[in-house]
Amino acid sequence: MERQKVISKLTHLGKDITEDIMLHESPRIRMPQRGIGNIHFNEKKNLLELGDKMSTRSFLNVAHSRKFMQTILIASKCKEFVSRNKTASIRELYYQLKHTIASTKENTFDDQSESDPLIVDLETALGVLREELHLKADDKGTLIGKITIEDSEDFIDCSKLGRSGLSIPSIVEHYKFHDVEADYVLVIETGAMFDRLVEEKYHLKNSCIMVSAKGQAARGCRRLVHRLNHELKLPVIAFTDGDPWGYYIYSVMKAGSMALAHESKRLGTPKMKLVGMTMTDIDTYGLEKVTEKLKDIDKKRINELSQYPWFQKKEWKKELDLMSKKGVRIEQQALASKSLEFVAEEYLPEKIKKSIMLP
Amino acid sequence: MELKREKHADELFKEFRETSITEFFRKNRAHLGYSGKLRSLTTVVHEIVTNALDACEEAGILPEIQIGINALNSEHYKVFGADNGPGIPLKHISDVFGKMLAGTKFHRNVQLRGQQGIGVAGVTLFSQTTTGKPIKVKTSTGKGKVHEVELMIDITKNRADILSKEEYSQYWRGTELDVEIKGVKFNLSERGPFEYLRRTAIANPHAQIIFIDPEGRKTVFERSSEKIPKPPISVRAHPKGLEVDDLINMSKVTKARKVNSFLVNTFSRMSNAKVKEIQEHVSFDLNKNPRKLTWAECEEIINAIEKVRFLAPPTEGLEAIGEEQIRDAVLNILDPEFEAVLTRPPKVHSGGIPFLIEVAIAYGGHAGRSIGDGTKCEIMRFGNKAPLLFDAGGCAITKAVNSVEWKRYGIRDFENSPITVFVNLVSTYIPYTSAGKQSVAEEKEVLKEIRFALMDVGRKFQLYHSRKRRALEREARKQILLKYSIELASGLAELTNKNEEKIMKELQNLVEERITGLEIEEAEEEIKEEELEPTLEGESEDNSEAHEEADEKLEEITEEVE
Repeated sequence: MERQKVISKLTHLGKDITEDIMLHESPRIRMPQRGIGNIHFNEKKNLLELGDKMSTRSFLNVAHSRKFMQTILIASKCKEFVSRNKTASIRELYYQLKHTIASTKENTFDDQSESDPLIVDLETALGVLREELHLKADDKGTLIGKITIEDSEDFIDCSKLGRSGLSIPSIVEHYKFHDVEADYVLVIETGAMFDRLVEEKYHLKNSCIMVSAKGQAARGCRRLVHRLNHELKLPVIAFTDGDPWGYYIYSVMKAGSMALAHESKRLGTPKMKLVGMTMTDIDTYGLEKVTEKLKDIDKKRINELSQYPWFQKKEWKKELDLMSKKGVRIEQQALASKSLEFVAEEYLPEKIKKSIMLP
Repeated sequence: MELKREKHADELFKEFRETSITEFFRKNRAHLGYSGKLRSLTTVVHEIVTNALDACEEAGILPEIQIGINALNSEHYKVFGADNGPGIPLKHISDVFGKMLAGTKFHRNVQLRGQQGIGVAGVTLFSQTTTGKPIKVKTSTGKGKVHEVELMIDITKNRADILSKEEYSQYWRGTELDVEIKGVKFNLSERGPFEYLRRTAIANPHAQIIFIDPEGRKTVFERSSEKIPKPPISVRAHPKGLEVDDLINMSKVTKARKVNSFLVNTFSRMSNAKVKEIQEHVSFDLNKNPRKLTWAECEEIINAIEKVRFLAPPTEGLEAIGEEQIRDAVLNILDPEFEAVLTRPPKVHSGGIPFLIEVAIAYGGHAGRSIGDGTKCEIMRFGNKAPLLFDAGGCAITKAVNSVEWKRYGIRDFENSPITVFVNLVSTYIPYTSAGKQSVAEEKEVLKEIRFALMDVGRKFQLYHSRKRRALEREARKQILLKYSIELASGLAELTNKNEEKIMKELQNLVEERITGLEIEEAEEEIKEEELEPTLEGESEDNSEAHEEADEKLEEITEEVE
């Protein structure tokens, strides 16, 4: 979307509200509802989608007044960023807007946790992306492998960045891909497992690009994986811990998240598969002794997952049932009980070759 | 039983004729209100004020009363009273101030303030027994002659002993009184003269009362109503509610020669037919001389009366203060944030005595009783407009007030709220617990009536209270909206390049408009609620039942006679 159009959308929002005020109507902002009630799982596309239920934020409702005011402050600040062609982190935005409200002891924002969700509100209300508002989140995630990325006229060979790899920024829109020598992309949940595989030169031996999400994948990471899949047609394989949290990380990268359902299409990778850890691995590889008992919070999370429409495939139902039945979880690094090399030399190559993966 | 516990004044009178008047006073001072240092002083003030108010009422004068108390020494005071009343003709001065129980009100069965105490002659007696000094009276009927008299009571003859008499020409009307008393003590407590006068002022809004305390501080309780109460009508006593000692006392002073004519002449609703019915229930001949009635015979008559039905007593003897007058007085003296007043229709107690209840509650302002930094609730009890200051604990009025669940009406901590509860019990016969006449006995009907009346004003308070709470909420909402308006206007101005001040101004107008709109909506809802639900659940049912009960009782009694 062109900058001019984003500016016009922001201005329009302000004008509509100002008009309400001039006509002595209740000033309102309408935006799609983002609760589970308005999120649908599109089985055909394998993506979470936002429904068309709208919610209204009204200034005259004192429960909304503060958020309403904050949303407008964010909009006006974003207009400034876009106009000046500056990009700010969401934390910078918070600091730019934080001040004491005249003749009170109250701050416009008390904490970044107040401004972050309102940015998403603004995105959905206007139908613009965070990047288009010239906002970026913190960088998170790492990439390594035989691919050269063109970034602002620099060419980065991601196989020549030592063991550290490329740190994935929040905005990857401007990346151009060159010289790709890979058969697939392997997304790894933990940094520690990523490091293990780097040391074992897994990406070189198996001709793949490795991405570490480092927990729940950030937008930039998800967008990059999406682009690698869609633009380079590389299959994407996820490798997470064998617990509800790991599986949810996988599901977010695959089908999108509830919070950003409006962006699933840009961020999701529906064709992604999961290689491990699975409950069947425990039996297959004799890992019973290195499992951990489920805590109450894990059990609760399993129940939640099994309610989600995008966990209704029979393979997943089976997997979650098995986890409940066994009452255990298994970490990626538990494979080290065999040997440090086991994961790189036997576990992954074998499973991927035989395509023993979950959908 | 009654006779053992206390003695009726007539009985006492008879007694003191036989012994000495000082002896009588010494023996019975507690019954006459002269017990305790504070109470004695309050009683002196009470007698003077009551005398003035009653005189003004009967003469149709708007009273202006002044009371001054000077400390002469420790426990030695001088009390000064002045009124603009009709004055006392010279020949009556001795009777009013110098004769115990002269022109007694006791058996007129009139609803008079003076039902308490023994009248202003008691002040003369108290003065002379504690200081040995006469009282000084200055009075004139306004016809050009003023009389100044110093008098004491000749205790052997029960009549005034005039020590000095002076007459001079001056156009002035009213009565002034100077009394010296010992063995009393002034303070500002809830039972002292100041509180007595404050409450008197509330129950007598047509009076202006000025008080000067021993420190020289002057308090003026302004008149808030120009309406002079109608003088009370004298009603004969109704047989129901009579006590044995009442009957025996009355029988001693009657001029009738036979008990049957004594009964017919003395009591209301007592016909020859009723006397015949009584005759059937008693073991002796009602043709006997009433003066020779014995205690046991009187008891028989009382028991017979229980079995006979009488027409309900007339209610015209009841003189309420009136809602309007109470409201004016409450506003004038307590200056509250909120007040609610109610005068209930007459009911009967003790099987036939008419009475009615007047209540008021006042909240905020000068309502309640200031103690240190805080304000506590205050219960003002009145019997026929006269403040009841003593024996609060055992009083039916106190019990009724405390039995109300004030929380239901939005008063969470009743004890510590700035609230004044006013209760006036109006009756031709108030069922006092003792001759001190400071505390009302727990007659079921009286208790019930006070409760209902208080619940009624409680509901009014609740409405006010929730209205006030909502107003506070609206104000809070407005403040929130205005606070965020500043930031919103600045954000919008930046987004749209429009004038920030103009946006702010319109935003303020919008907020004001909406808050006013809410107020109107609430008011409309309130009206709807009231239409749907005229009273509260539970209590209202009790209430209507009680009404029915009372009505039935009245009907029953009436039908029987017809």
